Amino acid sequence: MKRPQAQVAVLEAADAQEERGIDEVADEAGLKPEAATRAAFELEADGLLTVAEETIEHYDLTEEGETYVRESLPEQDLYEAAVDAGADEDAVSMGQVIGTSGLEGAAVDIALSNYARKGYGRIDSGEITADPDADTGDDPEMLALEAVADGRVEDADDDALSQLERRGLVEVSEETVRSVVLTDDGVTQLMAGIEVAETVDQVTPELLTSGEWEAVEFTEYNVAADAEPASHGKEHILRQTANRVKDTLVGMGFQEMQGPHVDAQFWINDCLFMPQDHPARTHWDQFALERPDEIKELPEDLVERVRSAHLEGVGPDGEGYHSPWAEDVARGLDLRGHTTSLSMRYLSGHEIGELEPPERFFSVEKVYRNDTLDPTHLLEFFQIEGWVMAEDLSVRDLMGTFTEFYEQFGITDLEFKPHYNPYTEPSFELFGTHPETGEIVEVGNSGIFRDEVLEPLGVDCDVMAWGLSLERLLMLMYGFEDIRDVHGTLCDLDLLRSEEVMH
Amino acid sequence: MPVVDVDPDELRYLTGHEEKDDDQLKSDLFDLGLEFEGWTESEEFQLEFAPDRLDRLSVEGVARSLRYHYGDDRGVYVPNTNSAEWTIEVEDQPEERPYVTGAVVRGLDMGEDALESLIQLQEKLHATMGRKRAKGAIGVHDLMMLKGEAAVDGTGKSITYTGVDPEGETFVPLDSDAEMTPAEVIADHDTGKKYGDLVADFDRVPAIYDSIGLFSFPPVINGQRTEVSEGSRDLFIEMTGTDQWTIDHMCNIVCYALAARGGQVERVEVEYADDAPGEHAGRTLERPDLSVRSKTVTLDRIQSIIGVDLDPEQVVDYAERAGLDAEQVETEDGEVAFEVEIPPYRVDVLHPLDLVDDIGRALGFNTLEPTYPDVSTVGGRHERSRLEDAARDALVGLGFEDLLNFHMTNEAENFERMGLSVPETADDAADVVGAADPVTIQEPYSEDYTILRTWALPSLMMVLENNTHRRYPQDLAEIGLAAELDDSENTGTAEHRTVAGVLARTDASYEDAKARLQALAEAFDTDLETPPTSHPSFIDGRAAEVVLDGESVGVVGEIHPRVLVEHDLELPVAAFEFRLAALS
Repeated sequence: MKRPQAQVAVLEAADAQEERGIDEVADEAGLKPEAATRAAFELEADGLLTVAEETIEHYDLTEEGETYVRESLPEQDLYEAAVDAGADEDAVSMGQVIGTSGLEGAAVDIALSNYARKGYGRIDSGEITADPDADTGDDPEMLALEAVADGRVEDADDDALSQLERRGLVEVSEETVRSVVLTDDGVTQLMAGIEVAETVDQVTPELLTSGEWEAVEFTEYNVAADAEPASHGKEHILRQTANRVKDTLVGMGFQEMQGPHVDAQFWINDCLFMPQDHPARTHWDQFALERPDEIKELPEDLVERVRSAHLEGVGPDGEGYHSPWAEDVARGLDLRGHTTSLSMRYLSGHEIGELEPPERFFSVEKVYRNDTLDPTHLLEFFQIEGWVMAEDLSVRDLMGTFTEFYEQFGITDLEFKPHYNPYTEPSFELFGTHPETGEIVEVGNSGIFRDEVLEPLGVDCDVMAWGLSLERLLMLMYGFEDIRDVHGTLCDLDLLRSEEVMH
Repeated sequence: MPVVDVDPDELRYLTGHEEKDDDQLKSDLFDLGLEFEGWTESEEFQLEFAPDRLDRLSVEGVARSLRYHYGDDRGVYVPNTNSAEWTIEVEDQPEERPYVTGAVVRGLDMGEDALESLIQLQEKLHATMGRKRAKGAIGVHDLMMLKGEAAVDGTGKSITYTGVDPEGETFVPLDSDAEMTPAEVIADHDTGKKYGDLVADFDRVPAIYDSIGLFSFPPVINGQRTEVSEGSRDLFIEMTGTDQWTIDHMCNIVCYALAARGGQVERVEVEYADDAPGEHAGRTLERPDLSVRSKTVTLDRIQSIIGVDLDPEQVVDYAERAGLDAEQVETEDGEVAFEVEIPPYRVDVLHPLDLVDDIGRALGFNTLEPTYPDVSTVGGRHERSRLEDAARDALVGLGFEDLLNFHMTNEAENFERMGLSVPETADDAADVVGAADPVTIQEPYSEDYTILRTWALPSLMMVLENNTHRRYPQDLAEIGLAAELDDSENTGTAEHRTVAGVLARTDASYEDAKARLQALAEAFDTDLETPPTSHPSFIDGRAAEVVLDGESVGVVGEIHPRVLVEHDLELPVAAFEFRLAALS
């Protein structure tokens, strides 16, 4: 039989007949009292030892009590001074007695209140008398105080003791004293012999399979201390945000689009009814490419219809732009300035085939703008793009859809400010209330695609669309001040590591 | 977005609403879509607005919109015009700039404010509709200073728009005292230097003459003789350009602004010679053309877009409040429709839908109750984005910190600092991962961003470089775009998703990288082989091809000390990169 070292030591120090105090046992076993106590309880649980508990009261003098033992009680001093002043015969002025007694401050009140209680005399109308029969030398409270001081508390009078406790001259504390005695089982096992089990640092396969774990003691750790930092994998905060947006949109019935980052201006601008000389086409400052510089093929019939929409307009009262339109310009390759190029590809039927209403599509993909790089602007960022295709959509449907979407991100009280885009009419800038600061902030741009956009694409129902920068949503949700800390090679790993996981 | 400076006192005067304080004006303007951006130095409102309502590029136009907004005016207003006394003869004009238009406005009491406003309107129209004067340029002259030739038909007076040899004639341009030829203006005059490019390729430059001689060199500069001053009472306005519709409408906007100042508009005749270049040869146009256009829109379309039922009377009311006129008509199919008249200063109405927008704004879009469209569709993720997410999850599970870097980079980062040479041609590109011919940007924002990255490891190395003060290990991964020139693609570009990972730690070794690759391959049930290879970014003998299901798709190894030192790293880095598609 193996038992932990502490248990073995306690068993050996205990006696079968005599109850032995735990301190004594600990001393003999070479253990700290706490360790011995813990081992005793473990042994008791196994039936090898009985642990008896007794509560003992301890009396200790307070600082004040110690002073009085050394000197005398204040009421004794007062009595002596009173007798010296002749108060045992006639009443004497109190001021005079106190003056000669040497009592000061709080001691005066203490002396006065106990003087009368003990029958040393009387105090009345500023005069004091002393009982000539009083025996201050035999004061029971003083005797009890001396008994406590000498460790003879059993000699002290109980009433006097409780009086001393009330006066704050002694303190009473309780202590639980444990003593142990071996049980018969304990004796039997001791006779049979008990080996000391080793202490163990690590749980090992061998320990488990051999059953040794039952007999070992594990070394104690400082469980409160900080551990070495663990490195851990974590999805990028912007990806988390993108995925949350995607989840929301998929939940609202949207399908995801994908498409080229390098694309013809035709898909990026011309299909969107952006006139080729419109300031917006340079205003967006899209990155034109040097190599490659031109798309090889565009759908010819679509090119013709788009050209016609630009030059002649669509419908009986359509006008078109009074701007030149050249296919060369349309063929030029750019880094897409918005993912609306994907919407155009999908709506045209050239990406996944002809679409029949109703449809909902979205993408959360990168776009590129030749902008100034600063804390809130990047040359490339993610655009959330979404559209709904259905018969007879109204601006109220647009409002309802976007209200629903933004509420998922805590942005409420959406406002729709009429706006102008070349490709949508009506168009709205979206403003919402910031979830933290309560500010009114711009959260997107939206509208119903113009006939000049849809008719060339062969779409003969309504399509409403909106766009928003993902980084803007991220900054609103997290309060980042410099987007460059997050997105790009200047990112700060510490920031990415410590940012709270989105859920 | 266009910005216009507007004096609030002028607004109060022109709208007749002296009682409106600045804050009320700002709020009313905001409702119209004109946002107060701040005060100018001369205590004017700086207003920003979307570039559709270019008729609001002056205080007169803004005041007109406000009067409709307040309900002071309703419906279409067209100023009366007097019959033409002046003619613009057009002959031998440069074919690159064939069109001209004009108007006379008399009886103005210009004053400082009106003159300033006219100059601003001119500048703003140049910047927007005029496409920096290329498409249309405005010249305003003091009529008193013009001496017209007797017109060809014998009635009235004329000026002539023609072309001239840049060195063949002289005049005194504005802001100058000297006689100069157009060529000298382009070479030496400040305004000439700024706009000279517009006519640099012309054999003969645009020129306008009266009987005294050359007085304007459009689109560059006017002559000093006809300069408009605060005392000018009668003005001659001419505009030249590459599109008749555009300059005619710029002219309309200017005429409306001057009419609002009390000016009387007088027509001019524009007589294109029989052999004049352009679409109008042999024709005489009377300008300004303040005719009212009309477009038809059905009640059904108005209701379906705005999403509420409207009475025909309401539609007419909203149209009039928007400065339009609407008359109820019936279409051939018997539908209720409206013939809507559009004033000649509106340049943004291209389609009946634009009128629906006007009606909606007059009604107040913000008063509409949102509805959720009652159509159901099935949502879903794109297959490729699902694969990308699954791979990203696996990488994160392997302890990688997921990163997101720019796709744009430069040749130094993408090639040279990784130990690769910059490929000059597609054939020149070495046959190793990353060494492809890159997509290049025409006018880069900065030399830091000149190409699209051909691989993602350089991005991760840059992140390591910028985070040497942060805790190690730094196990970083990214799944993202890489692109290269590829002539077999329609866009000339092969775009693919790449998976890159780096393990930066004091004991990083080839085996650490390979172990993670193995785990990935196993998770996606693909077969991984790593035959030895040589790659300039990696240590020889510690680099291998990543072969997944028999196809070589990437590289794995220990980064070469040369590359580590280049990136200021003081510990080993094991790395890999391969095509995401190989996991599918």
